[in-house]
Amino acid sequence: MSKLLKRALKNSLFPAILMIAGKVLGIFLTSAIYGLTIEVGNELNGIFSTQIYFEDKAVTLFVNSFSDLSMFLFLAIPTAYFIFKTAIFQSTVGNPKTIVKVTKFNILQWITKDDTTFLKIFIWCAFLWVASSIVVINVLQDSTYTWVGILAGSFAFLCGVGAVKTFEIESNNVYPDNKRYY
Amino acid sequence: MKENKVKKTLALVLEPIALGLLALLFIIPAITVVNLQPITKKIKDLNVLGVTNSSGLKVNIIGGSHLIFLNERIDSNEDIYTYKTKLVKREADSYSKPILEIVNDKDEDVNLEIYGGTSIPTNSDIGIIIEEQRYRLQEPNGNLLTQKITLRPKETYVIYLYIESFSDVRFEEDFELNIKEVQ
Repeated sequence: MSKLLKRALKNSLFPAILMIAGKVLGIFLTSAIYGLTIEVGNELNGIFSTQIYFEDKAVTLFVNSFSDLSMFLFLAIPTAYFIFKTAIFQSTVGNPKTIVKVTKFNILQWITKDDTTFLKIFIWCAFLWVASSIVVINVLQDSTYTWVGILAGSFAFLCGVGAVKTFEIESNNVYPDNKRYY
Repeated sequence: MKENKVKKTLALVLEPIALGLLALLFIIPAITVVNLQPITKKIKDLNVLGVTNSSGLKVNIIGGSHLIFLNERIDSNEDIYTYKTKLVKREADSYSKPILEIVNDKDEDVNLEIYGGTSIPTNSDIGIIIEEQRYRLQEPNGNLLTQKITLRPKETYVIYLYIESFSDVRFEEDFELNIKEVQ
């Protein structure tokens, strides 16, 4: 088995767990905070037999929107962190001003070790795109607030752009730009 | 030599399994999240099982997919059954779809009052078809009409919703159909 595949499997496990955990926690935390009556049923419908019920349609929409938002944030925050960290790390290589700024903000530990690979960013970004697709589909089916879909879609798009930029910079390290290095 | 061969064979076998596993790591959370979506119990029961009242009248939603009639659902409030759907933008044409199945389990005739339409006129002729008989519910100018229908005992009727327009409709609209049992 190739090393790349092994690393991809290893890196995919955590976001997969986080995605489910974000949705489940979102449902139960929203219900607990707002004191909503929740019912878990076991009717056969779809692949899984467990369903979560709410009595009122407006409540269902509210809980679904916030659980979708929670699932999305669980994936969006680490992805944004990885992209931001890699961008700063790569910027410090060619720009001493960034080192000064990084020192000023006391985030020097971010540039002392580059443990965020493009593969990691790509996998997290892929999960983020899957999650945002689910949110957007929910919006189209009127089961999630529109602003959650807009937020998820826009953020996923920006993270995609960030991932592509990271890839470009990483590929420049392998095949350096003629003007810059020669 | 032999060990190397075993390793190579193992790698060959494990590679596709690992690829499948990787794909599953994306698919399983997605399916789980979709299935964990909360649902409104009342509406779900109504959509799956239909609604029935104590007198033995049963109204079932037929469902299925259609390009013009979307998000169909049925609800009941005391003696009124309300069917709702979203009519999407469409070209000038005639469209129809079986929407409801009404079962009269009583031993006597049941009289129904059927009315409904869209809140904003869509320049469309909207109505229902029962046993090949057309009953108009909304005129193109938006006027609503109430239809009275008698159901024979122990009979099942399929209600079709039809919509006709002579010009393209460029916006979507919610349609509501009410069925009321009268003496």
